Amino acid sequence: MTHAISRKTYLFTFLGLLGLTLSTTLLGFVDMGPFNMIAAVGIAACKACLIAAFFMHALIEAKVIRVVLTGGVIWFLILISFTLSDYISRSW
Amino acid sequence: MANPIALLLREQYSTPVQQRETSKLGMWIFIMTEIMLFGGLFLAFSVYRMSFPQAFVKGSADMSIVLGSINTAVLICSSFTMALAVYSAETGNRRMLTVFLIATMILGLVFLGIKFTEYYQHYLQHEAPAVWFDHTGPDSGHLEMFFVLYFLMTGLHAVHMLVGEGILTAMVIRNHRGSFSADYYTPVEISGLYWHFVDIIWVFLFAIFYVEGLHLHKL
Repeated sequence: MTHAISRKTYLFTFLGLLGLTLSTTLLGFVDMGPFNMIAAVGIAACKACLIAAFFMHALIEAKVIRVVLTGGVIWFLILISFTLSDYISRSW
Repeated sequence: MANPIALLLREQYSTPVQQRETSKLGMWIFIMTEIMLFGGLFLAFSVYRMSFPQAFVKGSADMSIVLGSINTAVLICSSFTMALAVYSAETGNRRMLTVFLIATMILGLVFLGIKFTEYYQHYLQHEAPAVWFDHTGPDSGHLEMFFVLYFLMTGLHAVHMLVGEGILTAMVIRNHRGSFSADYYTPVEISGLYWHFVDIIWVFLFAIFYVEGLHLHKL
């Protein structure tokens, strides 16, 4: 069996994750109002994509697994966005 | 004595590849149910954060960014060693598989140690809801809600870490007994999926709890 993902790729993923963690911490010291949270969660989403794509092999898995993953993420986004759209629009 | 190849392939599958793909699919579906479990808590956090922004920024300022950042780095290191463990299993390197599994477990325990140090510090600062919480001021109830969510979400994550430690212990024992080879290492692979997933949850917990109040820190 060949290795679809090399140790070098794992190493770069690892370094990328550490770099993104550092940038999360450093960005936090800048007062950007509500954008602090948006930036932090945005960077976290990038890190999650890196982990899923390379460490969890999501990029090279069978199509059915990628369908399950995409489906799960979409349901989670529905949960968050529909509920928050209610809370945000209550004061309108 | 049964044929070792026959032991690798259960009777309901046609090929080893089909068996492996089925196990992985099952693990991914389990991970999706876990997203829903944590998703409810992330939703609760979002609603309370939107309703009481000042109290939540204040609560976030009481987090230890040093311990939080170190813990994030420790968990990322453990994911890296876990990825290397799966790689070792893939190449049939049993010795390195054990080494990387144990390294992953040690990093996991370091994470839990730091986490409980943080819990203890919050307890000493009277920030443990329902146990010892005394903060006064107009925001105190909302601040308490921040800490309720903090302990609930990081606590549930810590429980997942403990389960992960148990799974990895089982993998070390099975590897020691010679259950894995380059032809059969599916249990190691799906344990890795679980471990990486728990890492992803922490990445988001770090982002929502530790960062927002950081600019209020006096360094």
